Amino acid sequence: MPEFIAQTLNGLTLAGIIFLVSSGFTLVFGVMRVTNLSHGAVYLVGGYIGYSVIGATHNFFSGLAAGALAMAAFGYLLERTLISWLGRSEMAELLATLGLIYVLDDLALAIWGGSPVTINLPGFLGKSSTLPGGIVYPNGRVFILIVAAAVAAGLYYLLRRTRIGAILRAGVDDRDMVSALGINVRRVFAFVFSLGALLAGFAGVLGGTVLGLYTGGDSDILLFALAVVIVGGLGSYEGAVVGSVVIGLIDNYGTAYFPAVAYSVLFIPVIAILLVRPHGLFGRAGT
Amino acid sequence: MTSRSGASPRLLLRRLAAARRAAATGSADRTPTPGRGGPPPLGAERRSGGSGGSPPRTNTARDLLTLHVMQRSRRFLGPAAGLLTALLLVLLLQGNGFVSTLVVDMLVYAIVAMALDFLGGYAGLISLGQAGFLGVGAYGVAIAEVHFFSPWAAVGIALAVTLGLGLALGIVAVRVKGVSFVIITLAMGQVLWGLSYQWVGLSEGDNGITVSVLPTIGPIDLNDPLTLRMTVLVVFALVALLLVTFTKSPFGLSLRGVRSNEARLAALGYRTGLHRYLAWIIAVFFTGVAGVLYVFVNQLISPTTMDFSANGLFVIMAVLGGLGSIWGPALGAVVIVLFQQELSIYVSRWQTLMGLTLIAVVLLSPGGFWGLLRAAGRRWDAAIARRQRDLETAP
Repeated sequence: MPEFIAQTLNGLTLAGIIFLVSSGFTLVFGVMRVTNLSHGAVYLVGGYIGYSVIGATHNFFSGLAAGALAMAAFGYLLERTLISWLGRSEMAELLATLGLIYVLDDLALAIWGGSPVTINLPGFLGKSSTLPGGIVYPNGRVFILIVAAAVAAGLYYLLRRTRIGAILRAGVDDRDMVSALGINVRRVFAFVFSLGALLAGFAGVLGGTVLGLYTGGDSDILLFALAVVIVGGLGSYEGAVVGSVVIGLIDNYGTAYFPAVAYSVLFIPVIAILLVRPHGLFGRAGT
Repeated sequence: MTSRSGASPRLLLRRLAAARRAAATGSADRTPTPGRGGPPPLGAERRSGGSGGSPPRTNTARDLLTLHVMQRSRRFLGPAAGLLTALLLVLLLQGNGFVSTLVVDMLVYAIVAMALDFLGGYAGLISLGQAGFLGVGAYGVAIAEVHFFSPWAAVGIALAVTLGLGLALGIVAVRVKGVSFVIITLAMGQVLWGLSYQWVGLSEGDNGITVSVLPTIGPIDLNDPLTLRMTVLVVFALVALLLVTFTKSPFGLSLRGVRSNEARLAALGYRTGLHRYLAWIIAVFFTGVAGVLYVFVNQLISPTTMDFSANGLFVIMAVLGGLGSIWGPALGAVVIVLFQQELSIYVSRWQTLMGLTLIAVVLLSPGGFWGLLRAAGRRWDAAIARRQRDLETAP
């Protein structure tokens, strides 16, 4: 039983990282209808930048901030150039970001090399403590869980309780109407895209502590994010929350109990959901 | 093909003969010599004719000939290029060296890229999981041979498994389209990769499986490298011709209709879902065929053949070459294999270059390389039409 609880906690930790990645992905899709396939690469590069900054400053939190902010700046640039040049053509954006994966991966390989690296958590976070019930569990994972929950709550507040959130939700429903109301859609798009990239970069540094950073890590995390949006529904915040928990837990139980098919058991809920609701639990037809 | 200028060659020949007769009464030395060469410098001719004071009818004769040559060469350029390419392929495949290996790789990948194009360019369903089905075909052969099936039985098993998997997964995949379809096929491809990587008992994991015994049928022994290469070429040609035939059939036309306006096609009584499903099955099956060829050519199948990067590469081939043209993606396969095998020798960051090339093509030439060729063809057609108009309005 303690083993099962530890696995559940591991699954939730993974769910937290997946949520940070998939919420940005789904937000960008929901508001802008842009499928940013390079989101996983942004995660990886953000993690690597965090790793380098931590190496230089010996401060984990400055690395976390650097990875997140660098990727936010990159996201802003990307939106202002490539994405806006492509003029809102869904498939063209998808293909261009597919090309971007190869560029980012290759540059990451050139800069940080091919051997996997792991980010070490500082001080107290790097140790383990005994949870009620006698389970010894790393503090770092609990930290990730708490941070992800805090970000989820923050995003919920942003989306549901602020003016920006109202604009974003309106954008998901009817973009043309939002711009007709005199709201600067360009600024909204740039904000959303930067926010998505910020979350991915942030997740990259956090993920680097438990999952490590390695060539191909971007497509692994991208698949998680995609599985989440298939289960939860493209463009839905609630879908990202529920989907992340489902996918995180299933992947972790799979790795623990059915290692031969761990990667593939992910697909069971995905197929089950698709057969019943082709557009996901919280998705809508037409997306 | 876009519509060509109206006048038939026979009509033109008749006009040409009439013009010649008329010209014979003027200066005989201006009668053009018939030939297949490039078009004579027409503008210069016309100017000199005007200043020289010779009758304009002479120029008309030459103009007609030029027009005729242009139309003829426009018509025969495609088949001639195709024939030359076929000849070149046969020649290149003769050697046992690096070049023939490169060409065989191109042909195998081209089959996948063309199948992907049939699904993506015609049905509008871009699959980012196609390498997975290449892997299914290849692993099907390899695993069956490991379990002591004869090579032919292994081929049959591989194709049957690919087809069965396509039939089953298609039920899920073609329920959605557009971006959702890309995402779902990507997930499928990743799961297939995951199986090949993690299900060590079946797939031997990271090491992959080697295949050393190839099928033999009568006098055709695929264990002979040259026979194998020629077989790949024949299969490539068959798949290409089949796909081109499909695209020109009523089925292909209604597929395009499904892509551009599904609601209208559905209202007309077409079973649009079934159309997408059939296109999916065709694409998956031909990809499986390519997988069988792949494992025979390489004699090894390992998970890297079907990882995310490989899935992306096939889409890049199709998009670079030009979606919706079948031949374009084959060209894309050639370009990507050259990137991988040749450019990588000189440029260590060839993947960056490839990614940037894809981005540039998406930005600047959405029709891909084939789109550029088509645009050149259209310019040629326009030039022909312009000349024809000039001739018709000339005195």
